[in-house]
Amino acid sequence: MKSIENFRSYYNTELQPILKELEEERIGSMRKTGIGATVILGIAAILAAFILNASLSPVALLIPLVIGAALVGGAWWLFTKDFKQHFKNSLIRQVIQYVDPSLAYTPAGKISRYEFESSTLFKHRIDRYRGEDLVDGQIDKTKIRFSELHAEYKTTSTDSKGRRKTHWHTIFKGLFFIADFNKHFHGRTVVLPDSAEKLFGRLGKKLQEWNLSRDDLINMEDVDFEKEFVVYGTDQIEARYILSTALMRRILEFKRKMKVPVHMAFVNSDLYMAISIKKNMFEPRLLRKILDFEIVRDYLEDVILAVGIVEDLNLNTRIWTKE
Amino acid sequence: MELIILGVVVVLFILVVVGMYNSLIGKKNDVENAFASIDTILKKRYDLIPNLVATVKKYMEHERGLLESITTLRARAVSGNILPDEAITINNEISKAMGGIMVAVENYPDLKASQNFMDLQRSLNEVEEQLSAARRAFNAAVTTFNNAVEMFPTNIMAGMMHCSRRQLFEIPETERENPDVKDLFA
Repeated sequence: MKSIENFRSYYNTELQPILKELEEERIGSMRKTGIGATVILGIAAILAAFILNASLSPVALLIPLVIGAALVGGAWWLFTKDFKQHFKNSLIRQVIQYVDPSLAYTPAGKISRYEFESSTLFKHRIDRYRGEDLVDGQIDKTKIRFSELHAEYKTTSTDSKGRRKTHWHTIFKGLFFIADFNKHFHGRTVVLPDSAEKLFGRLGKKLQEWNLSRDDLINMEDVDFEKEFVVYGTDQIEARYILSTALMRRILEFKRKMKVPVHMAFVNSDLYMAISIKKNMFEPRLLRKILDFEIVRDYLEDVILAVGIVEDLNLNTRIWTKE
Repeated sequence: MELIILGVVVVLFILVVVGMYNSLIGKKNDVENAFASIDTILKKRYDLIPNLVATVKKYMEHERGLLESITTLRARAVSGNILPDEAITINNEISKAMGGIMVAVENYPDLKASQNFMDLQRSLNEVEEQLSAARRAFNAAVTTFNNAVEMFPTNIMAGMMHCSRRQLFEIPETERENPDVKDLFA
């Protein structure tokens, strides 16, 4: 895996030509959007003038306004769609392969819903499942796969006038990472952010013991780890075999570095990790110049963050029977 | 009316006592279960020793004494009629002897590079890691049990049941100083 240090020269030689091309394309698509928006807003203004002239109710003014705004949004989507695709297929793919040539990138791909569910990290019923930016490959001895995911469920409510309204609630949104774990195991161990114990202390721990939707509660001896996480598993010894004292420290450090909730599951000899990162990774910013080293470095840092989990958790140490 | 209240109080009291009794028994059994698991993994370790001896014997001419002593220790451990305390002492000595063998291996590059030995070393690493996990599981079970024995109100119940604190499984000084097999592998 490559680091940020030598990136400057790679940027100068390999990425600049791509960026120049993309920058032209970006300006072109922005210009098209601008022209489209001017035309749409012009028509909307004429319509508004007509409405005012015909002295219709001022509420009618909302009609050209709403339709105009929707059309401008549509034009934005239409004229930037190709650029976004090109951006991901050229720049982002290059940046990912700079980090490791074995990594394959599928902009429209995602971790399958089946895999997401088999991690057992989130038990809520899923009504909408979306994702993008799938990366897979092998870092030294460890196979990895990750993508952005957004899983939601919906509820409907009826207001006093009898109108039905649908609400979408996020189950998980962020980076979902799967890696081949370096030890063999048969059961299931999940590591979840700890909220009950933080709030209620010892009583919280008791409540966790009675959590019927999860396996047995496993009390770890690392006090700092126990404060941040709660562990459930099918086997007390296997959970500790997986979560060695060293790995617990590494997970804790990773959590502190990320500063967002981290869920982990060890199932089917694989490691599943759900990191609730807020930002949308690998997306171009349309209103800013992309011919800028700092911006490209941000993309690189996002890739390294995900791929670096292998090193962060020491997954390439293969001194046990699993090679 | 008063009779009903009295009845409810008595039933509640009985329920609480039964609950405490059962939870203490459950925790005691967890401790025993965890101890039995350590035993299972120790047996796995015993099974690997003849392999280890057979693999290194061809190469190690000067360490005959070391190999013989580990074979004798293993024979004593699997003989069956030993007390738990004795088993712990024997295993500490086995750990020490295995550490010695691993250090000696450094002098035999051919042996160290052989596929047979590398596979064996992986298995040994795995057993050691599992053993450490089993010890930690045992200690966690003992801590939960000891908390119940000493904390109010379960301590009253524990007193009547003659439950007393259990000892944690501590790793002896000698074992801690053993060279780490993992380091040798690097």
